Amino acid sequence: MTTAEYELCVASQLGKLAEISDFVGEAATRAGLDEGQVFEVQMATDEACTNSMEHAYEGREDGEVHVCCFIENNSFVVRITDFGKPFEPAEVPQPDITLPLEERSIGGLGLFLIYRLVDDVEFARDVGGGNQVTLRKHRSKEE
Amino acid sequence: MEIKTTKLKRCDLITLIGRFDSAAAPALDNALREANERGVYRIVLDMSGVEYFGSAAIRALVVAYKACRRFNRGDVRLAAVPDKIKQVFDITGITPLVNIYDDVVTAVGSF
Repeated sequence: MTTAEYELCVASQLGKLAEISDFVGEAATRAGLDEGQVFEVQMATDEACTNSMEHAYEGREDGEVHVCCFIENNSFVVRITDFGKPFEPAEVPQPDITLPLEERSIGGLGLFLIYRLVDDVEFARDVGGGNQVTLRKHRSKEE
Repeated sequence: MEIKTTKLKRCDLITLIGRFDSAAAPALDNALREANERGVYRIVLDMSGVEYFGSAAIRALVVAYKACRRFNRGDVRLAAVPDKIKQVFDITGITPLVNIYDDVVTAVGSF
């Protein structure tokens, strides 16, 4: 798979997250990522799609989330696009993971995980007026 | 996703099976609160069948920890955490804060 692109379009419903995960898992496996890398990409995608559904669409279930997977410069790329309200990653507080559990705040964990699970994360406004999140995971070896 | 609560003498054993993403996290939250509402604050989570545990599920867990550990009345202890889920707990800094046991029998026996 060097030029193949995989695309999935689902409604902005949390119940669709499992379908998205299976879709990305298959594309990542075909792209030659190992089991651990596949899991990390699936999880980062899951958290990014959750953000789209819960924040960009504010829980509205009639929106659309597009997930597109492809290979670029030996990286497996997942691009998630929504058409909800603008998402500003800089406004999300960073969780302090060194605090004792009792003092932990409960927000920001999804974004925190995304940054740690993939090699590169890029947020952009889509030309169609939505949010576009691009996740890149380097492939460990050439196919 | 499946959640099964077993009431034991020393604690509640909650068995989690399948995917715990943002769609499933409210059910986990409810199961943990339901135990608290019965006055049970000593809980073991059997994680052996968990395939995925996202940030929403982690939040439900953190909320339950805070509720259970308050006034030293109890704890939530984890049993048989699969490696890839353990990796998520490591990344999010949960691992050093919680008690994780190799198996359910040891976790239940720890109370």
